[in-house]
Amino acid sequence: MHDKQFMRETLLQGAQAFQAGKMGRRSFLALCGMAGFASTSVLAGRAEAAASEIVMWNWGGQSEECHQSAIGVPFTKATGVPLKFDTSGPLQGKIKDMVDSGHVTADVCDADLFDAVALGKTGHLEPIDYSVVDKTKTVDGYALEFGISIILYGYAFMYDTQAYPNGAPTGWADFFDTAKFPGTRSLYKWANGSLEAALMADGVEKDKLYPLDIDRAIKKISAIKADSIYWGSGSEAHDMIVNGEVSMGMVWQNRGRSIETDTNGRFKLVMNQALAMPGAYIVPKGNPGGAAAQTFIATAQSVQSQLDLFTCLGMTPTNPEAIAKMAEGDQPYSITSAANMPLIALNDPTWWGENTDAAVNAFLAAIS
Amino acid sequence: MRLPIQSGWLLVLPFLLLVGGLFLGPILNILWLSVTDPTPGLGNYAQLVTSDTLGRILWTTIRVCVICTVFSVLFGYSIAYAMVHAAGPTQSRMLSLLLVSFWISVLVRTFSWLMLLGRNGVVNSGLEALGIISQPIPFMRNELGVLIGMIHYMVPYAVLPILASMQSIDGRVVQASRSLGATGAQTLWRVYLPLTRAGVVAASLLVFIINLGFYVIPAVLGGGKVLMVAEYISVQVLVTLQWGTAAMLAALLLFGVLTLLFIMSRFMKLSTVFGGART
Repeated sequence: MHDKQFMRETLLQGAQAFQAGKMGRRSFLALCGMAGFASTSVLAGRAEAAASEIVMWNWGGQSEECHQSAIGVPFTKATGVPLKFDTSGPLQGKIKDMVDSGHVTADVCDADLFDAVALGKTGHLEPIDYSVVDKTKTVDGYALEFGISIILYGYAFMYDTQAYPNGAPTGWADFFDTAKFPGTRSLYKWANGSLEAALMADGVEKDKLYPLDIDRAIKKISAIKADSIYWGSGSEAHDMIVNGEVSMGMVWQNRGRSIETDTNGRFKLVMNQALAMPGAYIVPKGNPGGAAAQTFIATAQSVQSQLDLFTCLGMTPTNPEAIAKMAEGDQPYSITSAANMPLIALNDPTWWGENTDAAVNAFLAAIS
Repeated sequence: MRLPIQSGWLLVLPFLLLVGGLFLGPILNILWLSVTDPTPGLGNYAQLVTSDTLGRILWTTIRVCVICTVFSVLFGYSIAYAMVHAAGPTQSRMLSLLLVSFWISVLVRTFSWLMLLGRNGVVNSGLEALGIISQPIPFMRNELGVLIGMIHYMVPYAVLPILASMQSIDGRVVQASRSLGATGAQTLWRVYLPLTRAGVVAASLLVFIINLGFYVIPAVLGGGKVLMVAEYISVQVLVTLQWGTAAMLAALLLFGVLTLLFIMSRFMKLSTVFGGART
């Protein structure tokens, strides 16, 4: 399979070079001869390039197994197309670089919805085909032109029950109050979620966060800088809490449950004022699998896939039908469950898509 | 018949082409980006003067690199000195220990330091149990943590060039110095140290240049507060898409290193420093 793919790519590049006059006729024919193809079949081959596989670009680790079992298996069963992975992490810069280089090797990126806003605007993404993908199977406002939210994660905080035996912290205001609740804090170091938390602590209503008042947030964050450390990855956030480096720490909400279980409830997750983040599937411009990527996204919206992904990764489903079918015991850990919905804030991907650079750089300037 | 010397170039030509294509090409691309993205001009370089943040990040980088270089070379010098004067079998044992530490992944080292010196690490809980301290000492997640991690990583790099230059010293020179009435300290300062100068310079250069690009250790052990140039470049490339700023900083690092090499070359032959003209 890979050999074929490689051969086809080599020939296509050869054909393009030949057309552009960069490769001599003889070299090109020799190349075709070596590959055992006539040039016509090469060009025909491209036209009927039905997807031989769908490559999902995600963050590796557990999420590779989980995406395969929850979405890959039913997708392959329905279409016959296998799901492969690139686990190097689809950060905005990498997607931009891949599309700019003209050598696109991924079909679906497990990214953020704000990436869809930022990269869609600059022409690096394929639009979502809403004749295949269902707009109603996600949270209101999270089906955008260049990306759709499939799961939700979020920013919440956990605290050490042994550090605060007389009254537990209940919201971001307590998190930022180091006089009332002494101890070290940890925050996400690339601004996202940390700014919202600071604003909620400063008294901004959870549904009036956007547009974010960056200066106000930074002021609040700077005030506890001496008592703060900052994490860059989920496992680092996990370690800081479990190793007792902090007495309150921000985490990705979907990891909170396993920390509670692993530590027999010593560390507790606070869902009040958590910030729900739309994790989105986006398709890089010129993806090799073509339209099959849209079918893949539609599969990921199915109730069963969504529930399986929750069980496997702790990410909250976006399909309202899947949320309704969740087990009673899972409800507290689902960020948009009926009980949590009145407590939480919803991220605005459009604001972040347009202001990431200003927000991140202001944040880095303040903490470093 | 004697071949003209120039024909030797033919032998290295393929490598020159490879280096030109795969190395110089991308570097030129970076330089180009730094003056064209987002708009043509020197706007990215002007940020160096106008942005407090960039100034602070560069200052942090230089400060951490200089301190790390000084300590790495100091430790490296003592270790190399001990190795040169150790008996044969001990010396080779020391060398293998040194090389083993070379091969331990930077991530493993970083997390080991957290376990040893973290807030609830072995050292802090030990000292607390002994009643020596009442509050844990903040070794990690700050600049001190970054320095400990980086110096530990760089010491082997400092040892090897210094060791090489010490090994080439004729031991009788030291004996001569002593027999002519110099004290031990005088011999070290006026005879031994000058003879190992090339090794020390090589070690310092090597350590400093590698330090400039450090990423993992500051990112983890600094707790987000010690932002050095390499991590900042990575954020600008991957998260904020300010490729022009990133390219400008990368170019700055490149020219910084080249300038450093140039200044050194005014004082000594670089080939001596890197062992070219030795033995």
